[in-house]
Amino acid sequence: MNRRTSIAAIAAMLISGVLNAQSATVLYNERIVELEQTLPDATDLWVKPEDLTRVNDFVLKPEGACLDALCVPVLQDRDSAMFVTRQGQAWFNVTELADKLQQAYVTDYNDGVWSFGTMPVTRQSFLRGGEAPDFELMGRDGEPVRLSDFRGKKVLLLTWASW
Amino acid sequence: MPVWQSIYEELKSENFEIISVAQDTGGEEAAGHFYDDANVTYTALIDVNHQISSLYNLVNVPSGVWVDEEGRIMRINEGTYAKTHFDGAWGTDDYVPIVRDWVAKGADSEYVWDRNKVRESIIQRTPEAERAQPAFRLGGYYFTGGNDEKAEQYWTMAQELDPTSWNYLRQDLQYEDGGSAGPEWSKRRAEIESAGGSYYAPLEIDN
Repeated sequence: MNRRTSIAAIAAMLISGVLNAQSATVLYNERIVELEQTLPDATDLWVKPEDLTRVNDFVLKPEGACLDALCVPVLQDRDSAMFVTRQGQAWFNVTELADKLQQAYVTDYNDGVWSFGTMPVTRQSFLRGGEAPDFELMGRDGEPVRLSDFRGKKVLLLTWASW
Repeated sequence: MPVWQSIYEELKSENFEIISVAQDTGGEEAAGHFYDDANVTYTALIDVNHQISSLYNLVNVPSGVWVDEEGRIMRINEGTYAKTHFDGAWGTDDYVPIVRDWVAKGADSEYVWDRNKVRESIIQRTPEAERAQPAFRLGGYYFTGGNDEKAEQYWTMAQELDPTSWNYLRQDLQYEDGGSAGPEWSKRRAEIESAGGSYYAPLEIDN
């Protein structure tokens, strides 16, 4: 391999390294998020910072990954278990964040489908016997319905099933 | 369902809403006609991922939760029927009167629980059981996509992670020989009850 082709080969590897970034599907609450690119990893889900919000509503800010008032510190000037930079592209580790938040998840690695459970941080008041966790479900008419839409009323919440 | 509709008609002018949520992976096709047949006008939802059971740590249907005007839980995790069915084979006539009492008296109703009682009545989940919900969700994803083999794989996983969930078991059995109230369900129910447990979270109306 001459010098010229080896450079071309390395360039091709670098490019394919980006192009090979795997697609993935994330399930969280009612959402199904298709991600075109994630950083290949045998056990963890790494997404671009802009995809983080699509996945679980967290926003990457200078102080860390934030959801409303909650911020999990994330160093962004160096690589860590939560954040790495590869070829100028930043990647955020969603499963590492889930582990920190004790959020359960189950993965089908073959298909790249990641299913996340509810976040305990969103239910602390509930588990202490207080607030009813809010939810959003699509109504039968296609309009979203939230429990919080009914503030000011007494609500009898009933579950049932056809089966 | 027609009974809940009549109760809704009676109480809706008193700042009262019923939110009914079908725990049905089969979606509109499986559950929708029940709402239509009863001409319900309360808030009628279909929850294909059983999100509400997961969020409120409920493991069976029907289950009821009281939420007050401020969004606080006043009662939770009870087998809530509108009336008795089939000459008392199941159901209860005791629940509707306490709902009526709560709607009339609010926090002064003797049937409202304090925060400790609410907390004690919330089912606690192990870390394994917490993983049951994303596993069930993943099974539902494959079920919707027509991949029955993987649906079965993850629904089985959900049942193994949370053996206390009747919902996960019976939703799965619905798509197998025998159905959701067939021999397998009867066997599991008998096991629970012979061990002194109860299939439905019992109503506690005397406290």
